[in-house]
Amino acid sequence: MADVQLKQIKKSYGQVNVLHGIDLDIKHGEFVVLVGASGCGKSTLLRLIAGLEDISGGELLIDNKVVNHQPPAKRGIAMVFQSYALYPHMSVFKNMAFGLKISGKDKNFVREKVEHAAKILQIDHLLERLPRELSGGQRQRVAIGRAIVRDPNVFLFDEPLSNLDAALRVQTRVEIGKLHKDLDATIIYVTHDQVEAMTLGDKIVVMNKGRVEQCGSPLELYRHPRTQFVAGFIGSPKMNFMKGKVSVKTEGSIYVKLADGVEVEARVESGAIAVGEEVTVGVRPEHLQESLHGEGRLKGKINLVEHLGEVSYIYMTLTDGSEVVVRGDGETEVKVGEEIYADYQPQNVHVFNAQGLAFKRLTAAEADAPAAAMIRQAAGGNT
Amino acid sequence: MTHSDIRKPFPWHILVFLGPGLLIYLTVSVYPLLDTLRLGFFSEDESGATFFVGMQNYANLLFSEVWSEPFWNALKNNLMFFVIHMLLQNPIGLLLALLLSSPRLRLSGTYRTLLFMPTMLSVVIVGFVWQLLLSPLWGISEDFMYNIGLGDYFDAWLGKEGTALVTLSLISVWQFVGIPMMLIYAALLNIPEDLNDAGVVDGANSWQIFWNIKLPLLLPTISMVSILTFVANFNAFELIYAVKGALAGPNFSTDIMGTLFYRTFFGFQLQQGSPTMGAAVATLMFLIILIGVAIYLFFVQRRIQRFQL
Amino acid sequence: MLNKMTLTMPWSGMNKLTLKPDLGKKLMVHAVLLTYTVIALFPILVILINSFKTRKAIFNDPLGLPDASSFTLVGFEEVLARSSFDVFFFNSLIVTVLSLFFVLLFGAMAAWALTEYRFRGALFIAALFAMGIMIPIRLGTVSILQLMVDLDLVNTRTSLVLVYIAQGLPLAVYILSEFIRTIPKELKEAARCDNVSEYKIFFQIVLPLIRPAMATVAVFTMIPIWNDLWFPLILAPGESTQTITLGVQQFIGQFVTDWNAVLSSLTLAIAPVLVLYLVFSRQLIRGLTAGAVK
Repeated sequence: MADVQLKQIKKSYGQVNVLHGIDLDIKHGEFVVLVGASGCGKSTLLRLIAGLEDISGGELLIDNKVVNHQPPAKRGIAMVFQSYALYPHMSVFKNMAFGLKISGKDKNFVREKVEHAAKILQIDHLLERLPRELSGGQRQRVAIGRAIVRDPNVFLFDEPLSNLDAALRVQTRVEIGKLHKDLDATIIYVTHDQVEAMTLGDKIVVMNKGRVEQCGSPLELYRHPRTQFVAGFIGSPKMNFMKGKVSVKTEGSIYVKLADGVEVEARVESGAIAVGEEVTVGVRPEHLQESLHGEGRLKGKINLVEHLGEVSYIYMTLTDGSEVVVRGDGETEVKVGEEIYADYQPQNVHVFNAQGLAFKRLTAAEADAPAAAMIRQAAGGNT
Repeated sequence: MTHSDIRKPFPWHILVFLGPGLLIYLTVSVYPLLDTLRLGFFSEDESGATFFVGMQNYANLLFSEVWSEPFWNALKNNLMFFVIHMLLQNPIGLLLALLLSSPRLRLSGTYRTLLFMPTMLSVVIVGFVWQLLLSPLWGISEDFMYNIGLGDYFDAWLGKEGTALVTLSLISVWQFVGIPMMLIYAALLNIPEDLNDAGVVDGANSWQIFWNIKLPLLLPTISMVSILTFVANFNAFELIYAVKGALAGPNFSTDIMGTLFYRTFFGFQLQQGSPTMGAAVATLMFLIILIGVAIYLFFVQRRIQRFQL
Repeated sequence: MLNKMTLTMPWSGMNKLTLKPDLGKKLMVHAVLLTYTVIALFPILVILINSFKTRKAIFNDPLGLPDASSFTLVGFEEVLARSSFDVFFFNSLIVTVLSLFFVLLFGAMAAWALTEYRFRGALFIAALFAMGIMIPIRLGTVSILQLMVDLDLVNTRTSLVLVYIAQGLPLAVYILSEFIRTIPKELKEAARCDNVSEYKIFFQIVLPLIRPAMATVAVFTMIPIWNDLWFPLILAPGESTQTITLGVQQFIGQFVTDWNAVLSSLTLAIAPVLVLYLVFSRQLIRGLTAGAVK
């Protein structure tokens, strides 16, 4: 078992604090993705876990032991570097065997280990080559192979796909996911790409400015982003934001008046909201529908239409001045310059206060409870 | 384009670009070198007229009683000079470069600048500086050695037959250690930090990382530094001339190829200078350097691959 | 044990604990570097300091700084009176600057011609230049002297400039060729499509682009020229054409026993180089390491 626990982990370089007390609880076998914009501290955090940098404060536990002062090799971790960091003068075999050789393992044992890992990764025919004779994808596999032979409890991946081209990236992503299942190991994976995070992670940790913004499963983050930062970070294209003031508040629902007077309804827990409070409303492009007629809905002028085949993205400026993206029908006929409406369901609207914190959105079931009851009633009445 | 139907004009621009440099290089470097090789097969009489003597000059240099002793002496001394450089200059340069490149080292820029300072100075000046420092007349070194309890070991090293050459070699090492240091330092900076980290994660300690990862990647640089040292050493002259004069005393114990060449060409004391004999010495120096460079090009460089990092 | 300790330690205490092994290592590094820095600087400093002291102070207290009673400029006065240091300095300056200018200009032009145009003999000429990197020009001294005698250039600065151009060209051509090869083709082709002449392409497009490499070449060319003794000694030993290195060598040979004068002449030779080096060391080291050092 190799749980990884971070308790108030801090890192500072001189006077500059990079990480301000990170708490994380990672269970054995979990695939955890650290995601955030560059400079948010995610790579630093990974290097602290690896032991490549000293921890300034807090405790790091791997397998229930404090490892703050253990050298990397004694922590039961293996790391795959962004640049792969293959030793350029060593063959693939030697690259993979180096760690075992250093620890004084028996030659036959080393050979067996390396060949086994090479087979898993389908690079067994490349063992005698030098790194420079390999393609990017092959180098990537060697880097992973070097990690596998160490039999680590925890794999650390530092943006491993960023040097691959788009097609290879998708393929490798799938393979890493599969590898995770086969190896039954804990994986901590750093990326700035939210798609990678969503597709790979059992758990996603969104970081911002040295702090954890939110930690949860991909769907949880998508459905209930706790902050405006997370809401904007998870999902592609980005969530649309509009500023406004709360005008009406009822049980389970509020209305927000935008600058142009249009009111947007949102189904959120309204207890903590005051009428007149300045808030930001967020709706994902996929939760907006184009519509040619409408009243009380968002209205705007089209700036650009991107046809992607199955869907189209319609970029428009709303009457209150905010720019939004609407995911339209793949074969939509709307044109640049036209005025259209954007339709939404109130339960899909997110609301954030002035500090960027979200008001809990009521799930469809909760929000629709009265309506559902009514429908059930109506249905029952009919029979 | 219309090039096919108009006859191409003479490419004057190539001549203009290449001409001046090539002309100077050919007349002042290539021609004199070839002419020197030719002159080595000639001798001259009192009037200065030259006549062909075949391999006579070389036979004299290598075997005759008058010439062979100084020649082999100078060659032996020069080898010694080179070996001391290889044993000290490169390892010290490597060590300093490794220390300078340690991560987040404060003042590394200052160290770099100051350590390289002696290399900037003229060999002649450096020779005089050390001559003064080591002079028993002034006694700075003697006092210093007494202060650290080694006073009895002080000697007029530059003046003794047994120690003069070693001392001069050490002075030269002192001055030029900056070159291997700087070149190896630059090579070290080009080794990505990730490789170091990968080694740490693999469980290697600092020594193992140096030995297994960094040193192999530095070998091309180290061998390049070595051949540069070889050429410079077998071409050296100034230091010996400044400190010991053209006679490379005491009793020719510091005579190297450069000083032998100078004496042979210009003469000294009673011996007349001889351009043709000088040319023969220069030709032998040329051959020695050529052999060194050939070994480097065909054996060392070919075996040591440059790794793309 | 370590683990238990950290568990009971307050944060501040833990910080120190993590720093300790690192600190020891760092101190060691600094100790070694500092020691070697002292070894590198001490001899130079001793000379500089003592050149400002009276003969008595030089011998009685060689390591002391000059004070009111021991300070004197008598050595410098003697040097300036008995030799023409200003002339030597000027000679060195003009020879170095002119040689450097022509090495850079002709070197860049030749490198351009050899890499850009295809013509018969290009490979041979390139190989000829490459040989010159390894084969010292000194070996041709016998014939160079004869050549200068024939051209009536003995005891002129021109002879030195010519030799130094020939000495510096091979490395310049090599380094600049490597660099010119990295210039994107599109730049030159775009210019040719606009009917820009080959000369303009070189002087207005290529030359500005290879400036960083020129800095490297300048460093490698300049230092050996300024410090050379061999060719000044053989080609231009006359009083009026002596360079500073030769001038100091001759002066010291003459006044060996006049310690004030000897120390002062060394200081006069060292000081300008030292000042220039300290001012430009960053650029110089960057050039020397071809940009690896920022």
